[in-house]
Amino acid sequence: MRIWLGGLMLVILLMVPFPAFAGVPLDTVKTNVNGVLDVLRDPKLQGEAGKKVKEQRIAAAAEKLFDFVELSKRTLGLNWNKFTPDQRKEFVELFKTILKDAYVEKITAYTNEQVNFTKEVPLSEDTVEVQSVVVTKGGQVPIYYRVLKKEKEWKVYDVVIEGVSLISNYRTQFREILGNNPPEKLLETLRKKVGKG
Amino acid sequence: MRYCEGTPYSKRVCLLGLTACLIILLFLFLGLPPLHAASDSPDPDTGAGVNVPVAGKQVEEAGSIPVATAEKPSDEYGNVTEEEVVGSEELRIADPIEPWNRAMYHVNDKFYFWLLKPTAKGYKYVVPEAVRGLVSNFYQNLEAPVRIVNNFLQGKPGYAGLELARFLINSTVGVGGLRDCATECFGINGRDADFGQTLGTYGLGFGFYVVWPILGPSSPRDTVGWMGDWLLRPQSYLSSKWISPESVGLYAHETVNYMSFHLGDYEAIKGAAIDPYIAMRDAYVQYRKSLIER
Repeated sequence: MRIWLGGLMLVILLMVPFPAFAGVPLDTVKTNVNGVLDVLRDPKLQGEAGKKVKEQRIAAAAEKLFDFVELSKRTLGLNWNKFTPDQRKEFVELFKTILKDAYVEKITAYTNEQVNFTKEVPLSEDTVEVQSVVVTKGGQVPIYYRVLKKEKEWKVYDVVIEGVSLISNYRTQFREILGNNPPEKLLETLRKKVGKG
Repeated sequence: MRYCEGTPYSKRVCLLGLTACLIILLFLFLGLPPLHAASDSPDPDTGAGVNVPVAGKQVEEAGSIPVATAEKPSDEYGNVTEEEVVGSEELRIADPIEPWNRAMYHVNDKFYFWLLKPTAKGYKYVVPEAVRGLVSNFYQNLEAPVRIVNNFLQGKPGYAGLELARFLINSTVGVGGLRDCATECFGINGRDADFGQTLGTYGLGFGFYVVWPILGPSSPRDTVGWMGDWLLRPQSYLSSKWISPESVGLYAHETVNYMSFHLGDYEAIKGAAIDPYIAMRDAYVQYRKSLIER
């Protein structure tokens, strides 16, 4: 009987710490993503004028959801240290613009896709992976958001679509350029890309 | 395969020949360097020009109470340390035939924009979405043998069983696979599995990066895998030859039907990339690796 009670106590004790942690990162991402979905489905925002408003609102939501400095740091890896502080600031701005140009328009094309948030998996002490599945007519696409706790707020620093990490993908590309060129060369390439878009 | 065409060989002899080819290919590339995971090693001398605000960092650390978040808040653009940024291991794939691959990347890029995309667009315009959905289900169901066998080979008999159940349900209640009733009516989810993935779970590396014309990014391992999967597709048995107008035609239709749901995806990847060739290569490696781990 005593063993049984002890076991019960242990089970109760074990149960306590988990709910305290679980939920916050997932809820943060979910709220922001659902906010974007609401904008996309807003029947008042139609036509060309509506599209502009949509794009602005999505860009604003992205600003709230993503930590672009962290994202840039992790993309450049240790190459970040080769950049001067001014170059770092310029890099973050350019990279942000490239990502927005590439994805905001693509996102506005979505209308009736359903997003299900499935679970969160701790990656390290202060990073968590929030897993979601986008259900489209053509099949299911797993999208994982990697979030980092910074000043009590959870912010996204990487997105993994179908197993492909965004920052790893760019890291491979940037490494190719930074391998035999100074940081200025990469910035020049990015400036050109932004100018075209 | 091709050498069998027009010869009086029976399919059995052909199968033997093909198996021999597969084994030879396997041996050929077992001797090749496997994919290596290497971390981004820093050049110690190139960071010299940057003035490092080490002193400032230490002052902040002393000033604030919690140790864990000491340096970050006020110095967002400060230097990074290795453990801060190198979270996951780097994936690299050998690319000894890069000139060929880059050329084939451009060929495929043109193939997409000049032929595949216009065809898929026209197809999408003519065929209603509901019908294209049924077609997609139909082809998915035909590939059930690939998933059943490979789940089994990967030591996941549970998933092999689920895929078998899905195949039986969808082929009957789902009217020959037109509806995915297993998922919709019974909530049975399977698991994608192919032979390249199976070889990967056995510890075989990619070998190196290959871009095939029309078929796209691959590697020796996944090419062998692709050929193995072709043998498990019922479509391949429509004719007495392994590669026949019927099976290739069905494959083309399957691709166009798939593409009608994914128009704009490639453009988005290309548009977001700094070097689209490298971006595609990295995406291929990451995607295939994640499938093996899933």
